[in-house]
Amino acid sequence: MSAVRDELTTSSDRPPLKARVGNLQRRFPLFQLMAVVVLFEWGTWTITDFATKQSVFSMLVAASFLGLAGAGQTIVVLIGGIDFSIPAFISAGAIVMSELTGTNGWGFVPALVLIVVLALALGAVNGYIAHRFRVQPLVVTLGMASIVTGAVLVWTKAQPTGSPPAFLGRLSSVTGTIFGIGIPPIVIIWAVVAILAGVVLRRTLTGRRVYATGANPVAAELALVPTRRIWVGTYAASALIAALLGVLIAGYAGSGNVTLGDPYLFEGLAAVIVGGTAFGARGDYWRTVLGALLLTVLSTVLVGKGYGTADQEIIFGLLILVVVAGYGREPRLRDRI
Amino acid sequence: MSRALDSVRTRPYGIALAMALGLLIANVVARSSFATLSSWPATLATFAPFALAAMASTPAIISGGGGIDISIGPLLNLVNIVIVAVLIPHGLGSPWVAIPIALALGAAVGAVNGVLVTVFRYQSVLATLCTLFVLEGVSLKVVPQPTSGSAAWLTHLGAKIGPVPGALILIAAPLLVWIGLGRTAYLRSLFSVGGDDTASFSAGVNVTAVRILAFTIGGTFAGIAGIALAAVTQTADATQALQYTLPALAAVAIGGTSLLGGRGSLLGSVAGAAIMFLIQTLLDSLTVSDLWLQVVYGALLLLAIVLGSVLSAPHRTRAEPI
Repeated sequence: MSAVRDELTTSSDRPPLKARVGNLQRRFPLFQLMAVVVLFEWGTWTITDFATKQSVFSMLVAASFLGLAGAGQTIVVLIGGIDFSIPAFISAGAIVMSELTGTNGWGFVPALVLIVVLALALGAVNGYIAHRFRVQPLVVTLGMASIVTGAVLVWTKAQPTGSPPAFLGRLSSVTGTIFGIGIPPIVIIWAVVAILAGVVLRRTLTGRRVYATGANPVAAELALVPTRRIWVGTYAASALIAALLGVLIAGYAGSGNVTLGDPYLFEGLAAVIVGGTAFGARGDYWRTVLGALLLTVLSTVLVGKGYGTADQEIIFGLLILVVVAGYGREPRLRDRI
Repeated sequence: MSRALDSVRTRPYGIALAMALGLLIANVVARSSFATLSSWPATLATFAPFALAAMASTPAIISGGGGIDISIGPLLNLVNIVIVAVLIPHGLGSPWVAIPIALALGAAVGAVNGVLVTVFRYQSVLATLCTLFVLEGVSLKVVPQPTSGSAAWLTHLGAKIGPVPGALILIAAPLLVWIGLGRTAYLRSLFSVGGDDTASFSAGVNVTAVRILAFTIGGTFAGIAGIALAAVTQTADATQALQYTLPALAAVAIGGTSLLGGRGSLLGSVAGAAIMFLIQTLLDSLTVSDLWLQVVYGALLLLAIVLGSVLSAPHRTRAEPI
């Protein structure tokens, strides 16, 4: 009798290795981290000058842009939505900043305040319409993207000319410094955003409400979670992050145009999903950070190996599948019954 | 009257069809030449790739489980490229060769997506995003520079075949296939899987096969869309891969298909595409300045989706304790 009990307790104390790794993976993005390290090592050993300070910094700058582009998308995906207006807000942020400071002689701060206010308001409209009328956020955000891009075209008569203040460029320069430390300032900005997002999502009431809304909107509402406010706030935050990223990218590129944000739509979404965040409250921003690093290192390796654009895209697509096979797959149907 | 109104309101595509009809009338009022028969083949030819892209996106979405195929846009562009830049220059441009190859290519890519989503259990956004990257890369490899190529049958498809606009035949083809499928058990299985996959699985439905077939059918429709694109442009351009991707998904949603699966229709997607297309032609007819075009278009898109939601039959929208 006691032997049986002993056997039972020992077997329940030590679940099989696979289950333990699975448990750990659910709480901590172990495979994502390993994938980043493996890809980086692969680059270091097979490509000369891959791991120099210069090259690592330029990878970090690129990853910062991608990671920030995926920040808004992450929280929107967590509540079960999607935001296709992010590229439009990125372009708009870049153009408005360049035009106001470069052409219209505004100061940096008033221009920034205007951008913040506009982005928050228009983003909130996204969330409000999607929630109030229960319509697909996909269509709402596409419509909003068209309105934002169109408004910028009307305002600049389709010919934006201004350039942003010079100090913005130094924020994302590989040789930039912050407080005397030789790290590109945008990397620090990204780290601060990541820590903030991590703390807000995991440690505050608002964060818990975001997860509750995404996991089950009906249950959340019954539990007195103000789901509409969460939707409005989340989309406002997403638009704000995108517009501010646009300001940073304007500094990096030296000017703004309406297609500036376009590359960040699918790649930003890829960073979110490759990181392991899924629709409806599974994941967090740390995973997106790893996703952005992973995609950046991967594309840098492919460039370093001298592939052309076409080959790069093909291998990029295939390798994402290989990498994600390790962790990002759905449970079997027969296990979900 | 109210019964007729109810039947419009309860069908998911009813509102979309009504709005499309209203926009059609508005177009004719704005520019009477819109109604002349001779202008229809050209108008329909421009509309066809978009309508077909929307139809191609529909089956995967109905199959549920977050099913969505964002590789439809690049796929139809690749089919167009293969016809214009590969088959025609290599003397394989006869319709009896080119059309089967186009359909087979679409079906094959769709089937690969389906297998990735079901057998390998990737999220469909991720799987089709990877397919999107690969297809874009392949397109760019085939035609680094835009090229053009033409064949008599393509020109006919873009204009008229006998008395019928060629585009009409292309748009009708998937609808006929869909009606045919409606006479088999497949469509019922598809809607049941989309509504609740675990319940369907427990009831003995082969969920994997149903989903793979849904993606394959979507891919085949994308093949038809590629033919339609080849007919209207007769140009192969790899940079155009993404032009239909997001609008097609929007058209599906406007057409009353739930992106959660299990609810929707192919006709609704055509109506949704028609709404978006007719808004654009209306703005063109009213000579809205190019600059304002995008603002007005976006605003009308928001209006259309909100109106559709307000007018459709009330379904439970807020939490109610049972």
